Amino acid sequence: MANADIKLKIPSAVFYIDPVRAFIGNLAKNLGFSRKRVADIQLVIDEICSNAVHHGSIDTTVGVKLQIRSDAHALEILVRDTGSRHKGPKNWLTHERLSEIEANRSPSNEGGHGIFIAKSLSDTYEMKINAAGGTDVRVVFQLLKPADTKP
Amino acid sequence: MDSTKLMKLREESGIKILEIKTDLSSYAASDLRKVLEDLLAEKVEKIVVNLSQVSHINSTAVGALVGVAKRLRQNGGDLKICALADNLTRTFNLIGASSVVEIYESENSALAAF
Repeated sequence: MANADIKLKIPSAVFYIDPVRAFIGNLAKNLGFSRKRVADIQLVIDEICSNAVHHGSIDTTVGVKLQIRSDAHALEILVRDTGSRHKGPKNWLTHERLSEIEANRSPSNEGGHGIFIAKSLSDTYEMKINAAGGTDVRVVFQLLKPADTKP
Repeated sequence: MDSTKLMKLREESGIKILEIKTDLSSYAASDLRKVLEDLLAEKVEKIVVNLSQVSHINSTAVGALVGVAKRLRQNGGDLKICALADNLTRTFNLIGASSVVEIYESENSALAAF
C-alpha cells in the first residue's frame, strides 16, 4: 500500500464535517483499523473539526484545512483553522484557556468535552497556535497494536 | 438537509418517545437540541430518546441530552435514553455522562423506569 498525503479544505460549517468523518472512517477501515478504532477515529475528527468551525473561524468562508497522512504504521491527521480574532485578541486555545477548560470539565456540563475526547482516544495529540493566529491540532493513531486486528 | 425529519416523535402512556434515525454529529446535534427545546417549551416532562438506529454520537449531542435531562428533573420529570450501540456507550462512559443520564437497554425498560 502506497503512503498517502491528502489535503482537504472545507467551508467552516458543521454541514461539511459529516463527509470528512465518513471519508476518514473509510480510509481508516481500509488501512486495517478495527471497527472499534474506526469509531474512535471518527469521533475524534468530529470533535476537532467541530472546535475548528465553532471556535476557530471568523465565518464560513475562511475554511478549515485538513492534512491526512497514512503509512503502514499510522494515520496522522492535522486540522488547521485560521482563528476567530473578532471574538477577542487571543487565540481561542491559549494555554490559560485550555487549562481552564480542562479544570472545569465535568460529566454534568453540556460542553467542554471535545478536547478531552480527542486526547483520550488518540495515540498522539498536539495543539499549537499557527502562523495565521489559528489553531493546529494534530492527532496520530497507530495501526500496529494488538487491539487493531480485525474485525 | 434538515435532520429533524429523521427524528420521529410518538407518545406512549404520557411519555414522549423520540426515535433518532440519523447519526448525531455536529450538524445533527443542533437539530437534536432544537427538537428537545421544543418539547421543553411544550411543558413535556417525560422523554425517552431511542438511539437504536444511531451509529455515531459526539459530545455536543451528549451535552444536549444531559442538559435537557437536568432541566426536566428540576420540575420532577426526566429524560432517559435507550438502545445504545457499544461505541455510543463508550462515548457516554468516556465523558462520564452515563452517571448523569439514565441509560436502558431497551425502550420498554426505559418506559417502565418512569
